[in-house]
Amino acid sequence: MSNLVVPAASALPAREIRVVLAGNPNCGKTSLFNALTGARQHVANYAGVTVERRSGSCDIENCPASVVDLPGTYSLSSYSPEERVAQDELMDAPDVVVVVVDSMQLQRHLVLLAQVMQTGANPVLCLNMSDEARAAGQKIDLALMEKLLGFPVVETVGHRAQGVADLKRAIARAAGARMGDNRLVLGETMDRALAALRPLLPAHAAKIFASDWMATRLLVGDGEYTAQVAAMPGGAAVLAEAKRQRERIEARTGTDIVIFVTGCYFGFVDGLLREVRTQDSRPDARAITDRIDAVLVHRILGLPIFALVMYAIFWLTFKVGEVPMGWIESGVHLAATQVSALWPVGSGSLLRSLFVDGIIGGVGGVVVFLPNIVLLFLGLAFLEDTGYMARAAFLTDRLMHRFGLHGKSFIPMLTGFGCSVPGIMATRTLENQRDRIITMLVLPLMSCGARLTIWMLLIPAFFRPAWRAPVLWSIYAVGIGLALVLALVLRKTIMRGDDAPFVMELPPYRLPTLRSVPMKMFERAWLYLRKAGTTILALSILLWAATAFPKPRQYRIDARIASGEVAVTSAASADDPRTLTEQQVAGQRKAEALEYSVAGRIGHALEPVFHPLGFDWKIVTAMIGAFAAKEIFVAQLGIVYSLGDTDKRTDDLRAVLARDYGTLVGLSMMLFLLVATPCMATVAVTRRESGKWSWALLQLGGLTGIAYGLSLLVYQVGRLFV
Amino acid sequence: MSSSLEDYLETIYLLVQEQGFARVKDVAKARDVKAASVSIALRKLAEMDMVRYERREYIALTPDGEKAGRRVFSRHRLLTRFFEEVLSMPQPAASEQACAMEHSLTDDAMDRLARFFEFLGGCPTVIESFHQCPLAHDHGSVSSHAHLPGACAICAKKQARASISLADLKPGQGAIVTKVEAVGALRQRLLDMGVLPNTQIDVERVGLGGDPFWVRCQGARLALRRSEASSIAVRQAERDTPKQ
Repeated sequence: MSNLVVPAASALPAREIRVVLAGNPNCGKTSLFNALTGARQHVANYAGVTVERRSGSCDIENCPASVVDLPGTYSLSSYSPEERVAQDELMDAPDVVVVVVDSMQLQRHLVLLAQVMQTGANPVLCLNMSDEARAAGQKIDLALMEKLLGFPVVETVGHRAQGVADLKRAIARAAGARMGDNRLVLGETMDRALAALRPLLPAHAAKIFASDWMATRLLVGDGEYTAQVAAMPGGAAVLAEAKRQRERIEARTGTDIVIFVTGCYFGFVDGLLREVRTQDSRPDARAITDRIDAVLVHRILGLPIFALVMYAIFWLTFKVGEVPMGWIESGVHLAATQVSALWPVGSGSLLRSLFVDGIIGGVGGVVVFLPNIVLLFLGLAFLEDTGYMARAAFLTDRLMHRFGLHGKSFIPMLTGFGCSVPGIMATRTLENQRDRIITMLVLPLMSCGARLTIWMLLIPAFFRPAWRAPVLWSIYAVGIGLALVLALVLRKTIMRGDDAPFVMELPPYRLPTLRSVPMKMFERAWLYLRKAGTTILALSILLWAATAFPKPRQYRIDARIASGEVAVTSAASADDPRTLTEQQVAGQRKAEALEYSVAGRIGHALEPVFHPLGFDWKIVTAMIGAFAAKEIFVAQLGIVYSLGDTDKRTDDLRAVLARDYGTLVGLSMMLFLLVATPCMATVAVTRRESGKWSWALLQLGGLTGIAYGLSLLVYQVGRLFV
Repeated sequence: MSSSLEDYLETIYLLVQEQGFARVKDVAKARDVKAASVSIALRKLAEMDMVRYERREYIALTPDGEKAGRRVFSRHRLLTRFFEEVLSMPQPAASEQACAMEHSLTDDAMDRLARFFEFLGGCPTVIESFHQCPLAHDHGSVSSHAHLPGACAICAKKQARASISLADLKPGQGAIVTKVEAVGALRQRLLDMGVLPNTQIDVERVGLGGDPFWVRCQGARLALRRSEASSIAVRQAERDTPKQ
């Protein structure tokens, strides 16, 4: 150990230690973060930008510590929102900055360390995935590295939580003993330029403004910092000197400044590695990645294999998911009967109706999809953790690019099949704002898991068994096709401009561990359940109220009975419309009550608008529910019919639908539900992710307009043939 | 000082150099103007303390005037030689161009031109190869500037090698990066990924239909589009093996 290392605990600050994890994408930073903080973490967004901020807490040598997982960045330049966020976090002067690098990619990943060192931070270097490096015959002299760098260096295996104790000790050491000015040696030319700039840097509350990092940014002419420094007192002098130094270096080396500076960083890394690294002549363990790639991204086999993988995931999601879905369904049914039994048979209690029809019916209809969601995210997390996702982007980019999208748009859109909300959140991997907005806008056209309930209800109601699978397939195909066409239209109209860089790293294949995949899966499952427990519960109650109130004072059926127009008998004959059973009378009352309610009135009011599409007020009422959340369409239809038809929900909803509407209306309905009005949660998340209401409203209005047009076309043209 | 006054000073300077004296009529003859115009100009120059009348009709330059006249003349001589010797212009045209330019160039520009001229003098092969190049005689389009057709044997060879981009490579081929021509975010990303001048880059595979490219650089596998690959200038390595 180096002489710079100071015994830990005694020197630790009394307050909470603030730790920041920085590193390249794919360096295993997040699994290390999970290993450090366990369940004590919090995911939120950075203010104003769409970058996720993961923070958590843990104890380090009996001292409480907060840990922030920075978004993965290749460098600290400020081209992407992730990089800007990372810089801001570093400006906030954390106690310790843990730079996490992939031990197999030291040459490139250590560049970030050099930049972090320049900021004047208090670093700890964490050589992650050290097991792979050791297997490949790479040895690092940790003690020598610590001595050369002047701060702790540890080896870890993040996804197995190995070395976490070492890391904690190293953090404690670093926090206890602020490292001296370990200035980076970047070569004589660069060091002279920095020495000339250092005394001229303006004084500022944020320490980073006095750092070599700032001097470097000014030297390369970084637009953002140049503007900030220009506004400070004494800013002009340092900028003039930066320009002079830049010109001097460019004239002397004959390369432009950015390449020169980047070269300096790589030079530092090369020099460092030459000292501390020894490499056995063992074959690269990662050669196995090349062998897998030879098959998985094969010129001809690549796409068919990808299609198969996707098929497998969908099979897992929907076929395997059926089993637990059955359990949940019976559970919900049991709950409904149990709660129902608390009231006497035939009771018209409002409270009972609220519990059974509103809450259990509404939320139950949503929770039923939990297995689908969990399994889909299990599949996607698996693909992500193995490294196949990047290959998918490679395989699909040509197609996606043709439609003005990006290979990386594919993954969010795929996620959109599960739920649009995480899909839109996943557009964060897209660096270019324009690509991101386009992907977000068309993403709701990917038929989400919630809409699958709708298809599961409607398709068997309107189509013969042989037709069901092809119809389901077509719905997905229509959604995808429409999304691509719409993306192209957007790209050619309001979203014109140059392409964002596609340049993407293809990480080596790794076996996902039992720690990481379930973690991701449960995170999603929890998000979904929370949505069911909060938003959807509230909306279910709201919608139940809309269908229950106001109550009519008088029922037409009662008036007709009183006038003797119809008679009530115990066993009415089906042929005589003038005799009704008690049950039928009750049903009539419910139907009238619904028509009289807020929902019924809205449905009625909008009926003329939707009449050309073949919809009646009941469908329209249910579609109002679909805006709240797509899955509520089914729940709402259930409520509408249970209230309006029979006292008990014995009648199969499908049979009623098949009785009331033809196949053409069914088709028109499905098309409308596929395309129109992304649900409230989607609109809200689009607003949050795009940063503007206008995009969310364009999505809402645009898609609804297109849906109306399409359904109108299908219904009106279809009527000519039916 | 106006250019016409500078011309007068130059003329007087030349006359004094050649015949030892200058008279109003000599100046009028040399400049092809009326004697009256010469008198007006001389009055202005006298006011500026550049010339003085020695005797009737005889004009002498003050030390300042002589300096100014010499300056204009030396500029004229250098520009004329440049147009003649380097740009191969015929005599009267070269002198005319020199007259037009000698007043407008700043001292700094003149100084740089002079040094360039001096450099060419010490390096005659450069002028020779320029004169041999078809470009030197082509009076037509300027569009051929992009690819100098055999301008200089060494340069041509260099250019031919440098004009290959990563997008020109086939799977299995490798090369050395010579220049990253991309700008903005793409440039930064490429540099961050280690795509720097003088590093080895290998194309491992290309997507169906020729896009995107799958390359290996500094141990990392990268995917980039054809358009992006074409912004990376490379020079072919000796051997075309992709393995490091």
